[in-house]
Amino acid sequence: MTELPALTEEEFRRLCEYLYRRTGMVFTEAKRYYVERRVIERISATGSGSFASYFGRLRSDVQNEIELFVNAFTVNETYFYREEHQLECLTSDLLNQRVLDKRTGDALRIWSAPCSTGEEPYSLAIWLLENWPRVDEYEIEIIGSDIDTEVLELARAGIFGKRALMRLSPYLIGKYFESLSEESWRILQDLRDSVRFSPVNLVESAETRAHGQFDVIFCRNVLIYFDDAARRVAAENLYEALLPGGFICLGHTESMSRISPLFEVRRFPDAIVYQRPDGVARDR
Amino acid sequence: MPSFINVRTGWHVTDSQKTVMVVDDASLVRLYYRTALEGAGFRVEEALNGIEALEKLLSIPVDLLIVDVNMPQMDGFTFLDVLRQKTGPLASVPALVTSTESAEADFAAARNAGANYYLVKPIEPQTLVEFASMFCGIVR
Repeated sequence: MTELPALTEEEFRRLCEYLYRRTGMVFTEAKRYYVERRVIERISATGSGSFASYFGRLRSDVQNEIELFVNAFTVNETYFYREEHQLECLTSDLLNQRVLDKRTGDALRIWSAPCSTGEEPYSLAIWLLENWPRVDEYEIEIIGSDIDTEVLELARAGIFGKRALMRLSPYLIGKYFESLSEESWRILQDLRDSVRFSPVNLVESAETRAHGQFDVIFCRNVLIYFDDAARRVAAENLYEALLPGGFICLGHTESMSRISPLFEVRRFPDAIVYQRPDGVARDR
Repeated sequence: MPSFINVRTGWHVTDSQKTVMVVDDASLVRLYYRTALEGAGFRVEEALNGIEALEKLLSIPVDLLIVDVNMPQMDGFTFLDVLRQKTGPLASVPALVTSTESAEADFAAARNAGANYYLVKPIEPQTLVEFASMFCGIVR
């Protein structure tokens, strides 16, 4: 492969601006290596030859280049039962609060966004089966969404390696996965059927709105990639995507209070979560 | 007659393995019931609704049906109604109806459709296994 030259200042700036407009993700000079590596990969994969010709291709979206380009920039590292304390909180507090105003048989909707290759939404399904004895009492809907359409395909296939399963006990692996080889496992068909996957861009309100409203949203480790303006837009979209009284869980390094005043902070024994106020006074 | 100890539950299964068909449109619920029943030594078949159950029953003999009420295409009551009008042993397979509804009218509707028993969700895995065992004639 011919070594492609690094991007000029101007090219780098135009590219980052474009990336920001499309995804809300902010890349600064400090991330130049990360950005360059991915762009050079795309230039090479498309046989564009130069940045100028690639950028033209990208802007005209030749053969879905925008989607392929965005996919190249997303970070997809996760594993089952990540931040288990939030899962604890889900079943010991959040869901029990959410069902107070529901009738048995009503829908209970949980959104994992971004969901990457599916570890989080599938973890939610397994966690509920193992830890919430009311799992058959409500119409539980788990939806996994991500901006990266390639990871959604992988999520639907439900095949995972050792690293993804490192936090699961052999008992759980034996119960919910079938072994394909020494290094890979496929999650059971019933679990694959119980999670729906869809693309979403969290800074596009039309896309988030299309998903309806949720009781609980897991939105972990994505807002850190956004700048202040994009974060606020995403926070507003997430607020709209919550039912009144619904909860949102962020990554442990993230804080919604810094981003938006819309939510109330709730401290539970296992986790701090944010709630869309429901306008109904309750004993706290 | 095969006899074994189920490692997960510690129960001594002395009967030949019994087959239960879980008819429920929610895959999470099917999996929840299936793991409980398989853990107790049952063989489990699944169907998404009444139509699929009727089709599967043509080729799979079962000892017990566990039937949800609200399902798309063919609900649990219609399914039982159709099943009970069939000729032969298929018409008399015991059926345990599971539902989130708990009004007297719902119990009556289930009885009229041909249900043998009615359990209100949520159902503890242990309870499900106890009832399934009772209907399959397994002494635990």
